Amino acid sequence: MIFRAVEDADLIHRARKGDVDAFNLLVSRWDKRVFNYILRLVNSREDALDLCQDTFLKAYQNLKKLEEASRFAPWIFRIAHNEAYSLLRKRRPEVDAGEGLPPDHAKTREYPVELSLAAAAALDRLSADQRETVVLKVYQGFKFEEISEILEIPVSTVKSRLYTALELLKSELAPTARRSFS
Amino acid sequence: MSCSPYDLRDYLFDELAPAERTDVRAHLAACQSCEAELESLRLTQSALLTIRDEEIPQRIGFVSDKVFEPSPLRRWFSGFWLSASRIGFVSAAMLSAAILTLALRPNVQSVHNNAQPAAQTVAMTQAEIDQRIEAAVDARLTRAVDAAVAKAVSDSEDRAQKRTNEILAASAKHVAAEQAEVKELKAELFYLHSVKNVATVSANYRSPLQ
Repeated sequence: MIFRAVEDADLIHRARKGDVDAFNLLVSRWDKRVFNYILRLVNSREDALDLCQDTFLKAYQNLKKLEEASRFAPWIFRIAHNEAYSLLRKRRPEVDAGEGLPPDHAKTREYPVELSLAAAAALDRLSADQRETVVLKVYQGFKFEEISEILEIPVSTVKSRLYTALELLKSELAPTARRSFS
Repeated sequence: MSCSPYDLRDYLFDELAPAERTDVRAHLAACQSCEAELESLRLTQSALLTIRDEEIPQRIGFVSDKVFEPSPLRRWFSGFWLSASRIGFVSAAMLSAAILTLALRPNVQSVHNNAQPAAQTVAMTQAEIDQRIEAAVDARLTRAVDAAVAKAVSDSEDRAQKRTNEILAASAKHVAAEQAEVKELKAELFYLHSVKNVATVSANYRSPLQ
């Protein structure tokens, strides 16, 4: 991870000087993670792909505003977060962002096992804020400080949202998981 | 409710310092309740991770976007290389190569005739190449000028000779005509002398009868 961070910083440094190839390499390293993060927020592959494109385009245009190259990951996820929520607000302005969206990825998931479906359904039942903290922690592996930076909320709020969500998920998933893994 | 010295969820998500993790591990070894709680959290995390990341339906391709367009120089070069201009460029390059080869040919032969290594020819500096080209061009120019002067002189001589012959021919004709006239005058003069002599003789003649 340390070497990876150094290499990313070098790529960012080169991209800031106009090296398009360096930025494209950076995109190829992060696009899958950003895409899946957005996908779990908006529940639509088409929208997720468009938002992913927009995220990296904005990142390129604002790369000089990134003060610390080592903070690229929280920075790009912050942009992705803003892009996703901008769409969600347009899509359902009267509803809390992300709530009540059709769980289409649960229906079309390529892993139609009982546990996978149960996990997807349990995630969809979380609030958008709770789901996003779970995605950033469990699937993206960010530290609390990084999630705090991405969501622009205190670390205490991050932990509160995450642990509330985790208790809900545990009550739904732990029995099923115990049966599946036993 | 957990009785662990630190939050088991922080332990699960690796948010504790090494010393804190050690304390939690020690507690877990002695507390079945906390061990069961941690097991439930791990099962929940494992269940969530059965949802795998998806591959992107298509590659994120920003290279085609406007902000990723190549520099003006690159665009010009690409445009030039894909246009008809390159034919002219290639033609000019081939012509230049041919001229250079032609110009260097006598020198290369000379090098070969002198049995010098080919590597020496290859190692010529730009100044030497320029000097040889200049010498070859000068030699060719001198030869061409000499040939032109020789031809001009030859043509002039031919024209002069022809004119001389014409003059000589005319002169000879004129001399012949003069000679013919002199000959006629001589014949006439001879005739007149003859007449005069006859007259003189006739005047001086005395008949024996007189």
